[in-house]
Amino acid sequence: MTKTELSRTPRIGSFAGELPVLGAVLAALGLVLLFYSDDSFTLNTLAGTFLFAGLATSWNIIGGFGGQFSLGHSVFFAIGAYMTGNLFLKYELSPWISLLPAMALAAAVAMLISWPVFRLRGPFFSIATLALTEVAMALAVYFSTWTGGAQGFSVPFKRGLENMIFAERMNNALLMLGYVAVTLLIVCWLRHSRLGYSLQAIRDNEDTAEAAGIAVLRTKLIGMGLSAALMAAGGSLYMMYVRVVDPYALFSLFDVGVKVAMITLIGGIGTIYGPLLGTLLLIPLENLLRAELGASVPGGNLLVLGVLLVLTALYLRRGIIGSLIGLADRMKAARA
Amino acid sequence: MSGEPLLDVTGVSKRFGGLKAVDGVSLKVGAGEIVSIIGPNGAGKTTFFNLLTGQLRPTEGQIRFKGQDITRLRPHHRARLGFGRTFQISQTMTSLSVLENAMIGGFLKLRGNHAAAVRAMAALDSVGLEAKADRKSSELTLGERRRLEVARAIAMEPDIILLDEVMAGLNETEITEILDLVHRLNEAGKTFLVIEHNLKVVRAFSRRVVVLDRGAMLAEGNAEEVLSNRAVIEAYLGASTA
Repeated sequence: MTKTELSRTPRIGSFAGELPVLGAVLAALGLVLLFYSDDSFTLNTLAGTFLFAGLATSWNIIGGFGGQFSLGHSVFFAIGAYMTGNLFLKYELSPWISLLPAMALAAAVAMLISWPVFRLRGPFFSIATLALTEVAMALAVYFSTWTGGAQGFSVPFKRGLENMIFAERMNNALLMLGYVAVTLLIVCWLRHSRLGYSLQAIRDNEDTAEAAGIAVLRTKLIGMGLSAALMAAGGSLYMMYVRVVDPYALFSLFDVGVKVAMITLIGGIGTIYGPLLGTLLLIPLENLLRAELGASVPGGNLLVLGVLLVLTALYLRRGIIGSLIGLADRMKAARA
Repeated sequence: MSGEPLLDVTGVSKRFGGLKAVDGVSLKVGAGEIVSIIGPNGAGKTTFFNLLTGQLRPTEGQIRFKGQDITRLRPHHRARLGFGRTFQISQTMTSLSVLENAMIGGFLKLRGNHAAAVRAMAALDSVGLEAKADRKSSELTLGERRRLEVARAIAMEPDIILLDEVMAGLNETEITEILDLVHRLNEAGKTFLVIEHNLKVVRAFSRRVVVLDRGAMLAEGNAEEVLSNRAVIEAYLGASTA
């Protein structure tokens, strides 16, 4: 420690070092859009897929890096949708602006409800977040002036960039690609930041993290707030994209709350690109299954996803990306 | 010891239900000391450590550090005040690399990623793990994991370092390396409180030894005197052999 001359300088990744890969990934996704530019059905699928990739990437901040397996993120998604939908309907406020109060409210709600819930560890935490989803859905049905009750509400089709409402599917897809880009950029920063390392330390070992001076509860709350805010931004985009929402769609466990976690697990939890990869593989697959099996075997798509999840848990414990990184590490160690 | 001691523990007890794991222990540790705590299994040594670092809160008693009452402070606050520790059952962050594990210590006083990495690398260098910096900590041997814990504690630049059986499972060479490291850091002004089973190591470590038995302090003083004390030998080896 008193030695001033080191045998070698540390090789440590940095935010700047992540940017070339991020650029390449986004360019590849852009090329896919270009390739399907005449196919509005596929563009529509891609828009939905990109939106989900952004949601899963947001969930991964606290669920993956922080190790807090929340199944209640649909609450923050719904906050984004309701905030943007109401402000647009009642005051014609641009979603570009209403994004901000939506994110702030989601972060505040997330921190407030997490404050007691974070005292629970492991499965108890997950169960508590599941229960919160049910409570939030009941509240949404009850407060019908804001949510339209069980029937939900819709916003009018007023085209324009300022409203995020487009006639061409390409524009929707580009907007969602922008959402993916923002969430990935934030995660790239997080991965190499003090906050990111603190979250990972807490995930791996809460006692050691605390003994090393990390304020465990505060760090979890910040991670949760960031994750919830980005989730709400996705909710805002979703509102203007589908223009019709109801509580059953927004709070659906199988379409949002559990699915973000499940897809991230398969793609690679706690890795930068795991949620994106998981989404790119599974959402199109699920759409296909829904189309093929939807009528003949209702729920068949869920069955297939469930089996995939079990297979991942058995054979790829760290998901697809996590396993590839592990393989690379082992090869590096073998050569050293 | 002149003036106020660095660490001042007065009448600290910890009760778990009907069991008094630590029973009215008082201890003063001056800056620059190396104090060893010994005692048979179940004597309350690790519980005592956990009371000092804040993982547990005492049922009775007071703990002062640098003149400040820290009895009720959370572990991360104590870490910021200058407590570094290792755990009896080695606790590393298994999904992080060796360097990143040490960086977690470096981040205590540094914000930047690079600054923390430089300090972490220096700490790894001092425990002889610099060549394994890029490995996953889960790939390390037990001895290496213990040294990694020491490196993480060093990277925090604490005033006092608590080592909980850091030598357990290490070979002779590794033990000598850690001893050298502790003495080097001690000369640079760091204070150590050490739980240790190996009496040879205890003699090499410190002038002052504290013996705990069934939660209470059995003996305290100069290492040679304490280790030849009849009551201590009885507590360790049983009355019949004494």
